[in-house]
Amino acid sequence: MDRLEYFDCNCSVGRVGRPLLLDIPDAAGLKGEMAAAGVGRALVYHTVARYGDPVLGNALLMKEIAGHPGLDPVWVILPPQTGEMPAPDKLVEDLRRGGVKAARMYPGRSRHGFSLADWCAGGVLEALGAAGIPLMLETESVTWDEVFAVLDRHRGLPVIMTECSYRHDRFLYPLLGRFETLHVEMSRFLGAGVIEDLVGRFGSRPLLFGTNMPVYTGTAAVSMLTYADIDRRDKEAIAGGNLRRLLGEAGS
Amino acid sequence: MNPFEDAIHAGLPLEGVEIIDMHAHLGPYYNMHIPASGAGDMVRVMDRCGIRRTVVSANVGWDTDIVLGNDMMLQAAAAHPGRLYGACMVNGNHPELSRDELERCFARPEVLIVKIHPWGTGCRLDDRRMKGIYEFASKRGLFVLVHTWYDGDPFGSQDLFAATARDYPQARWIMGHSGGPCGSRRAVELAAAVPNIFLDTTLSMCPARQIEFFVKEVGPERILFGTDNPFIDPRPQIGRVGLADIPLAAKIDIFGANARRHLAF
Repeated sequence: MDRLEYFDCNCSVGRVGRPLLLDIPDAAGLKGEMAAAGVGRALVYHTVARYGDPVLGNALLMKEIAGHPGLDPVWVILPPQTGEMPAPDKLVEDLRRGGVKAARMYPGRSRHGFSLADWCAGGVLEALGAAGIPLMLETESVTWDEVFAVLDRHRGLPVIMTECSYRHDRFLYPLLGRFETLHVEMSRFLGAGVIEDLVGRFGSRPLLFGTNMPVYTGTAAVSMLTYADIDRRDKEAIAGGNLRRLLGEAGS
Repeated sequence: MNPFEDAIHAGLPLEGVEIIDMHAHLGPYYNMHIPASGAGDMVRVMDRCGIRRTVVSANVGWDTDIVLGNDMMLQAAAAHPGRLYGACMVNGNHPELSRDELERCFARPEVLIVKIHPWGTGCRLDDRRMKGIYEFASKRGLFVLVHTWYDGDPFGSQDLFAATARDYPQARWIMGHSGGPCGSRRAVELAAAVPNIFLDTTLSMCPARQIEFFVKEVGPERILFGTDNPFIDPRPQIGRVGLADIPLAAKIDIFGANARRHLAF
């Protein structure tokens, strides 16, 4: 049987100040980790965009992954009111021109210091939704009530929750039952039997393969999926089909 | 050539290796939904990926009732002989009860190790009430599995763990989670300094190249395979060890040969 074709939605390049273990800062290092896990393609953001400055980090990302096929850019964005990022329509234009596949936001005082509520981020969320560009939110940087509000107010906006752990099912399941635009990245979604349970309840549609390489190894997420007791079609969807569909890629 | 690579990518149980999970749990837990938490569920998942034996302690044991938890452990081991084995849960806040539980549980041959969860019990490893537990383990040369979480755990930091292992050299000490995702560097320093310390692979946030790092720094002989099943599904750990860039002999050691060398299953 052919190996699954992995399209990882959660990778990064760039140095980190407090590495878990090794610092693997560049695209070549990421590609090495991807090869070890058997992952061929990934959505990638830059650590400077997350921990340093989004504008600088996004620019560094485009330089770093240029010439590395299989790495697709994800930008970290901010609401426009401070002038650090352009108005929503112009931002979406920039994302499209750069081939940027998705956008990440890190709201909250201890992250990037803004609100996801409509009075602050409503315009940019609306623009992303209209353009069909997925929004990626890290579980630790938002409350589940905020996630509910985004999903409820912006029905066309695909939302990918990253770093969901085995402790989040009781938040996730009610939302998955209400919003088909909600997706779960699986690098830490590793509770015993959770893939079978979630697929049995909601189908494989919400699950997206993700590893958080090169911070984490990709090998753990790979065997979580290959050994799952679900249909091959569902494995293919989770491995990459769902993400390709979300990105509007033909043939997915 | 990695003989495990094709099997892992095909989702087939590994062949030619005995996989022994030395760090697992059992049953539900208050702050999470665990879809496959029962003993039968655990064995079914073990079969999916080729884990032959698993040593379990019940989740309810460390936050609430060690007797209830040990009862659950004993029932699970009795229901799945040759597949599930016992880790006797103890709690320094209940020193006499813990000694009684050790006597009760270790009267059963399927109970193999002691489990201590300093964070869950809030009893520090160096609390004097722990002494009777350590003496029991030392006298029998038992493995003691301790939940450790680098410096963020005032009850069971890696350094507290190592000091206890030094004080009781007749016991064998498993640094549960190897100190957590940021604990790898301290883990290998302590393992190098204290010969009765063993590392384990149990983690949900698995740093890239951690298995390779452990093998390079301390050798494969004192690394034990653990999964946290059913807190964490055991299947990710199969890929983490099986696809690591280490010699085949090291994988076989970690997967189970090391445990087999020390324990009579």
